[in-house]
Amino acid sequence: MAATATKLSDWLRKIVLYQEDVKDEHGAPPAVPAVRATVAAVIRNPWLGTGPGEVLAGQAEAVAPHLARALSDRLKAALGGAEEIEAFGKAAIVGTAGEIEHGGALIHTPYFGNLFREFLEGESIICFADSRSDAGQALIVPMWHKHAPATRSHYQTIAARVSDGPRPDEIVVIAAASTGPRPHARIGDRKTDQVVTAEKLEHVFA
Amino acid sequence: MKIRKVVTVIEEISQEGGRAVSPAARVAIVAAVIENPWAGQGFVEDLSAGIDATASDLGALLAPAVLAALGTPAEAYGKAAIVGLNGEVEHGSALIHTLKFGDHFRKAANATTLLPAVEKRATAGTIFDIPLKHITDATIRSHHQSVEVRIDDAPHADEIIVALAAASQGRPQQRLAALSTEQ
Repeated sequence: MAATATKLSDWLRKIVLYQEDVKDEHGAPPAVPAVRATVAAVIRNPWLGTGPGEVLAGQAEAVAPHLARALSDRLKAALGGAEEIEAFGKAAIVGTAGEIEHGGALIHTPYFGNLFREFLEGESIICFADSRSDAGQALIVPMWHKHAPATRSHYQTIAARVSDGPRPDEIVVIAAASTGPRPHARIGDRKTDQVVTAEKLEHVFA
Repeated sequence: MKIRKVVTVIEEISQEGGRAVSPAARVAIVAAVIENPWAGQGFVEDLSAGIDATASDLGALLAPAVLAALGTPAEAYGKAAIVGLNGEVEHGSALIHTLKFGDHFRKAANATTLLPAVEKRATAGTIFDIPLKHITDATIRSHHQSVEVRIDDAPHADEIIVALAAASQGRPQQRLAALSTEQ
């Protein structure tokens, strides 16, 4: 059965944007400057009071698309549009009265992931983090390239945190994005790597 | 002034106490992570050269940025200086407790009151609360509020975080009697 129409305002308590514009890193400006941001939505856990037998798909379809759109809109507004965004990631922090699975239902299904990818104009699978914790705990959100996830220069993270969320009955859903690579990315790439095996590295182990 | 990074935080509160807040209450913070102008100099008796070289530029950077992030006229505001472990609290105070810094914000926000402030020395990743009060009358009780900030990797020991905060309104469900009713 298709989910009935809902409004995000039925679930939402607050949205927090966090953005970092790095001007200098370790004494030098980044060769390729990047702006990173997270947007975190604090919502009431749609499955509060349900047990492990609860089917999560219905509410995931009802709630997650709204989150994908609200978070994507704010990321795009903050970072200059989808065309400026090169890397992305996602995360969920579940309050202590919920299951990690509840966070997964909101970020790991197509109702969020496909839409977030579509709105940010990417193709990659979206990397993620999740946790269950008290309000105010930070979560490090990983990001990688939205078109080519193996692009090593774009492996990066950003810390997300909401001071008073999640309460036990809430979930914080986070979308993250970056307009470029790490500040001084210089660890090569799959294209430049030597073939490395234990046998070839005998001189290191010796 | 050496800036490592500029951090922007925007909170939109659409529900408080189980009731809707409409329009959403907005609070914005813009923070610059800078090198402590007096880092490595020992005890500097006269801080005026560092103040002159830094405070006005910081105000000029942060004031328009925080108002742009807020996106609506500011009704309450505040400021912060968080000094890395090698510095003195006095270094942070030097940068924010001068008209050279605050007047940029007052002018941009059409404000008249003193900016409430937090100053402390702390390790990177410290949590700090910025107090905010009404921009033209610091006795307006509905607008007494604070907002919490944390920057994961700042301030380093030789850095200072300098921040401005602005709110579009008072507390989301403010309903306390005005100060005048108790006088």
